[in-house]
Amino acid sequence: MNRTPLAWKNLTYDKWRLFVAGCGIAFAVVLMFQQRGFQHALFDSTVEIVRELDCDLVLLRPNRFALSVETRFDRHLVDVAASHEGVAAARPLYIENLAARLRRDQQRAQPIRVLGFHLGDRIFLDRDGELAWQLDALTAPATALMDRLSRAEYGFDFSSNAPWPQMGELNGRQLSMEGTFRSGRDFAHNGNLLMSAENFATYFRHRGPDPLAQVDLGLVKVAAGYSHEQVRERLQASFGPEVDVLTRQALIEREMAMWDRDTPIGVIFTVGTLMGFVVGVIICYQVLATSITDHLSEFATLKAMGYDNPYFVRLTILQSVYLALLGFGPGLVLSWGLFQFNASYTALPMILTVGRVTFVLVATLAMCILSGLLALRKLFSADPASLF
Amino acid sequence: MSTESPHEPLDALLATWPTADAVLSIDVQQVNHHYGTGEMRKQVLFDNHLQVRAGEIVIMTGPSGSGKTTLLTLLGTLRSVQEGSLKVLGTELFGLGATATTELRKRIGFIFQAHNLFESLTAFQNVGMATELLGIPTSEAKPQIEQTLHRLGLGQRLHYRPKALSGGQKQRVAVARGIIHRPGLILADEPTAALDAESGREVVTLFQELAQQHQCTIVIVTHDNRILDVADRIVSMVDGRIVSNVLVKRNQLLSQFLVRIELFRVLSTSVLTKVADKFDLQSFPAGSEIIRQGDVGDLFYVIGSGQVAIEMDGQQVNRLGPGAFFGEVALIRDQPRNATVRALEDARCFVLHKADFQTILQQSTSFEEELRKAIFSRQ
Repeated sequence: MNRTPLAWKNLTYDKWRLFVAGCGIAFAVVLMFQQRGFQHALFDSTVEIVRELDCDLVLLRPNRFALSVETRFDRHLVDVAASHEGVAAARPLYIENLAARLRRDQQRAQPIRVLGFHLGDRIFLDRDGELAWQLDALTAPATALMDRLSRAEYGFDFSSNAPWPQMGELNGRQLSMEGTFRSGRDFAHNGNLLMSAENFATYFRHRGPDPLAQVDLGLVKVAAGYSHEQVRERLQASFGPEVDVLTRQALIEREMAMWDRDTPIGVIFTVGTLMGFVVGVIICYQVLATSITDHLSEFATLKAMGYDNPYFVRLTILQSVYLALLGFGPGLVLSWGLFQFNASYTALPMILTVGRVTFVLVATLAMCILSGLLALRKLFSADPASLF
Repeated sequence: MSTESPHEPLDALLATWPTADAVLSIDVQQVNHHYGTGEMRKQVLFDNHLQVRAGEIVIMTGPSGSGKTTLLTLLGTLRSVQEGSLKVLGTELFGLGATATTELRKRIGFIFQAHNLFESLTAFQNVGMATELLGIPTSEAKPQIEQTLHRLGLGQRLHYRPKALSGGQKQRVAVARGIIHRPGLILADEPTAALDAESGREVVTLFQELAQQHQCTIVIVTHDNRILDVADRIVSMVDGRIVSNVLVKRNQLLSQFLVRIELFRVLSTSVLTKVADKFDLQSFPAGSEIIRQGDVGDLFYVIGSGQVAIEMDGQQVNRLGPGAFFGEVALIRDQPRNATVRALEDARCFVLHKADFQTILQQSTSFEEELRKAIFSRQ
């Protein structure tokens, strides 16, 4: 038989109250999305550079437990890897961060991450193709491309109509910024420079007589028809403890896990998310409890008629779920908008994945059901004996 | 009343007179109730007894604080019985479990003083909450709900929300919700207080139909004098005690019957009403002896229906029919029965105990004179 949708009717009867309730839940949803969003963004930002690399496997020193740790291995191991069966190509990537200081005019010199690569190696995915047409400019000495998401404090003009090249000073020597590319900054890096391996060698002579003898990362492309995992295992077996071979995805996960586990960032944002959750519980409880206390004698009448406690539990949970969904929809839309804004404002990669949306949806449902169960106590206090 | 046939009150009386084997809807025995604990403990019900047969309409009256509300909540299983026995619709409420309580509540219809309708639901949906609970299919419930609301003058307001209804209309929706599932017992608290004369009358007429057609027992707490006439029984409570429990409808019909008899015509209305309350009804199959000559007499008889024969020493000396009385001589003179009375056909007699009979004699000298005249004329 068609049940009278009492939960829905009671919830939607007072449109203004429903609107306020929806806003409250949406607020909690946005809060949770923001916290989670920033948390993920910060973790995502640390691996942004890896995501832009066109490779399947990455070689690195075992004690390079984070990308920002500057330990290196012999370049010839990259060539060894290249000769392995199933390997289509293996290229070196040179990275300097702490030893690279960039300044413009009389500004303070600040560390910047410098990526050096052989211009003939197509090691970047270059999704929007902006690297391809600027590579020629990098063949000249003392040239580089600058990440336009680098901190503004470096003093460069990244506006769309800015004149290029712009001159700067890297480690006390002139450097001509020929143009820009897009990557992003993270905890450890305030910006990025891209230059040819040859130029890289001239700026970082402290790396040794042959500055390119040691590489930071080896980027391996697996040949078509070979399993990434099998090639990885074979490479790892042949290199032994000298070099770690990771799939690109494993490196990304390892890097994010390191930040989550070994720094307080994960905890800070988890507390933030929890705050959103608690705020949501309080708002939702208020809405449901008021809805119940306003109808206490009606509910008492239902009890007198013979409605039992399981009915009221179902009723309240249903109301909680409706409330959760009504708040989640606008909350999601609002969060998406805020993510776009945040991403453009902070240059952090704010990404909504299905998994992250599901997480907040489940949290919202849990939040509303929890407060529904708390509000139930009020319902149980409805005493039909007080009606006569 | 002038168009009424002479036998109508008698027929109605005999039809409604409760028989000894009638099903009891309510059976309250020695019920005490306390509120509070420890030193704050206060007794609110004292040794209450009340028996109500199925199909009776009971009106409970009494000042506020007299305990009638407490008794009503006990009857409605809304409060647990502390002391004594309370049976409702055949179920003992003392120590009744939660599940059984819920099941019993579904067989009771509640009408509260406040309408307690959900603002978010229409009149139809509010009433539907009662049929849904019992699992009555929509196809069956829909016409029932519509018909009931129609009867209560809400046919044009089926899909209105309470906000769009007047106070009286809301109360009538609440009445519909209380009766729609054909409960065996209806407990109503001032159901007509918010209603005008016409709709109040419609509600009580509906109650009467439910009582007569479906043997539904109805207990109404009310101060509304306009509806007192529907009561079969009026129970009044003072200070936690039932101080009077009168079968008014029966007494009224009996008075109407008695007043047609010469003997009782001399009694004042108040005495007559009191007398009527004391009568019992006894049935005698054809051929049976109602009283036997020589026995000690302790009852006075008024024939309600059937013919009886008076036999002295084995000889039939007289024949009496409805409205006639016998058995008074033995009571007045404190003698054994001077004749045998035998039912010639199935007979029903209203009987009065000796003590009650003598009370009337003491109260009314004209009654005694009338009686002597009657005895004299018979000899």
